[in-house]
Amino acid sequence: MTVRKILDIPVNRVEGDLELRLEVADGVVVDAWSAGTMFRGFERLLVGRGALDGLVVTPRICGICSTTHLMTAAKALDDVVGVTVPDNGVRLRNLALMVEHIQSDVRHGILMFLVDFANPAYRDHPLYEEAVRRYAPLAGEAIIEAVRETKRIIEIIAVIGGQWPHSSFMVPGGLSYAPQVTELLQCRHVLGAYRAWYERRVLGCSIERWQAVDSLAALDAWLDEKASHRDSDIGFLLRFGRAAGLDRLGGGHGTFLSYGSLDLPGETAAQGSGGQLIAAGFARGPTVEALDPAAISEHVAASWYTASDGGLHPSEGKTEPYASGKEGHRYSWVKAARYLGGPAETGPLAERVVAGDPLFTDLLKRQGANALARELARLTRPATLLPTMAVWLNEVIASGARDVYVNPGPITDGSGVGMIQAARGALGHWIAIKNGRIDRYQIITPTGWNGSPRDSGGVRGPWEEALIGTPVADADNPVEVGHIIRSFDPCLVCSVHTVRKGRTIGRVRLEA
Amino acid sequence: MGSNLYWLQCGGCGGDTMSFLNAETPDILQLFAGLDIDVLYHPSLSNSSPAEQSSQLEVLSSGEVPLDILVVEGAVLRGPAGTGMYDTKAKRPKKDIVAALARQARFVVAVGTCASFGGFGAQTEIEATGLQFNRSEPGGFLGTEFRSKAGLPVINLSGCPCHPQVLAGALTALVTDTELALDHYNRPLSWYGMMVHQGCTRNEYHEYRVEEETFGEKGCLFFHMGCHGPLVTGPCNKLLWNQRSSKTRAGVPCFGCTSPDFPQNHPFFNTRNIEGIPLDLPNGINRAHYMVYKVMAAAAAPERLRQRRTEI
Repeated sequence: MTVRKILDIPVNRVEGDLELRLEVADGVVVDAWSAGTMFRGFERLLVGRGALDGLVVTPRICGICSTTHLMTAAKALDDVVGVTVPDNGVRLRNLALMVEHIQSDVRHGILMFLVDFANPAYRDHPLYEEAVRRYAPLAGEAIIEAVRETKRIIEIIAVIGGQWPHSSFMVPGGLSYAPQVTELLQCRHVLGAYRAWYERRVLGCSIERWQAVDSLAALDAWLDEKASHRDSDIGFLLRFGRAAGLDRLGGGHGTFLSYGSLDLPGETAAQGSGGQLIAAGFARGPTVEALDPAAISEHVAASWYTASDGGLHPSEGKTEPYASGKEGHRYSWVKAARYLGGPAETGPLAERVVAGDPLFTDLLKRQGANALARELARLTRPATLLPTMAVWLNEVIASGARDVYVNPGPITDGSGVGMIQAARGALGHWIAIKNGRIDRYQIITPTGWNGSPRDSGGVRGPWEEALIGTPVADADNPVEVGHIIRSFDPCLVCSVHTVRKGRTIGRVRLEA
Repeated sequence: MGSNLYWLQCGGCGGDTMSFLNAETPDILQLFAGLDIDVLYHPSLSNSSPAEQSSQLEVLSSGEVPLDILVVEGAVLRGPAGTGMYDTKAKRPKKDIVAALARQARFVVAVGTCASFGGFGAQTEIEATGLQFNRSEPGGFLGTEFRSKAGLPVINLSGCPCHPQVLAGALTALVTDTELALDHYNRPLSWYGMMVHQGCTRNEYHEYRVEEETFGEKGCLFFHMGCHGPLVTGPCNKLLWNQRSSKTRAGVPCFGCTSPDFPQNHPFFNTRNIEGIPLDLPNGINRAHYMVYKVMAAAAAPERLRQRRTEI
């Protein structure tokens, strides 16, 4: 006889608050509901504020990717006024954003994902002692190094923009400040030191060697090749992750989305696609299509907002709260972002699939999407960014760090869009200005894609789907579930939609 | 004899945690090890199981295990209608957990402006408040009479985010029983007894009223760009951020984020003025005197400043 039970699981290390309800049959997840349990109120708070206020307000949505929200808000305003940012403005904006990404990838990968391998659930695992030595909270040797090195690389953002997190140095037309060339020369040292550490500690090899890993077979050969490969964080992720079966778990819908990101300057040695370093597109499995921004919509059928039929494009979307508490089918403050009416996952794995990266395309063909591939894509993303960061830094220095800003004049009435890739995936700001003030502001965050609840058709969100088939050995310590969820690098604080004062909400219970 | 610490995240962005991770000399690991602080729980760092977390909360709330330091990050969300259901943990309003732990803790520390004063969610539909202030009004969530077991009010370390060295320094003082003199918002004077303006590299431009009117210039940001540097207190230009710089040094106006009134309701990047002189003047200044001083200062400005030839 099948034993079915319902588990309610709070998940930490997800930037904010997430709770899962799982239906488990004979120790395996058969259904999942993901609930964002906090609601903060940013979009409506922006309405009526000054035209530039998104540059100050939206970075405060998220402590780990404040520069990313700033970039998106600045690009939306660039779009409103129709200004072209000069090349050095583009380079320095990109550089700051890339620093934030490589900080986030390492902090998430080591402090929030690999730390689970030191969970007591694995105390009998042959690799457990090594995992504890490396990743014990606040004590493991990798934790200590990750804390020390990630704060150093962030110094580059402070040189460009004053501080991290929560500065507002990107403005329509470029940057608020041109750093001195001598300061940027110092950034070369900071960048070089981070790269050397990343190669030694995280990759266990040079970036050039890693770039030659272009298939599952090449990955296996790389792992066998040297002790330094096996002993690196990537090596340990592969060894432990495979032993824990993470390459067979956490599949999801198999659809991937990237908005594209990091505009190429007019003149640069960096190579990209479609004018951007990170390609835009949508993929079903390894098959990639061009991105159509009009195909994006948000559903609220399972979210605590007033219902609309089907989905609305964010330029038309509303954020009207509604939660009776009795209906059962509404269970999250996160809306359901959909592409062509269906769910799509976004993040580093999606970026690599959309870009046609040979390693991840091969992994997808042979294994399908999985939690291990997702985290591998994240922890190796710095290897794809660091070389171009050096190119752009050197190009700014060579051109005297001049011309980082053109004055676009006052912000005119109109609408604009900023769409980029955050560390966690696709991020969009849709803004409209009227009478010099913000008239609408809609935001879809990466977690609005990955952590979405069901849509109008009852289709699960990506990580709800990815949880199906996950074993739960110990209901009190469901470490496997944590691996799947954290492979998406959730950010619940970005579930920003706001509500109007005076509405009441019942105590909502999820119906299994 | 060591201390223990419990870090609770409420209505916020996690930015104070991210900022704290940037602490230097000591970094967070050196800080906790050096002071023998046992971090019972931190939402971004702990890997305990949900069951352990829940039983830990129980024994701390009941007082069975004594709690030395409660750090709260993010505002207390009371909405809607006082239920606190906009921010829950295990179906329980987070505000109830704040109340239970604050009753037991020897010290309660509010890290960041949201926890101190409410921040972005104050005066909005989510009914956010700080622990012991709601904006500048005393009381907040715990009430004016609240004292932690050590007999202290909530120690407010405002800033959006809080400077990591301020939190590290405050924890060091608390654990070592070193007295921290507080201002009238219960912020340590050591860091909140100076203006953000002090130490800004644009000070010479400020002295001679050489002012930025658009982004990317080298002048002072006070007269036109909405800078709060001379108006609010904070250590930004003394301690610097990320060991390097500050917003004002990088041409970004101070938004007054340590202030109980942050965020302001009028537009950022813009100085409200009366006949060209800022409406809000540096603390304690007589407007007539200030107008005369600024006219004379502008007249006295040396050419190298007018021509923006001085590096900042």
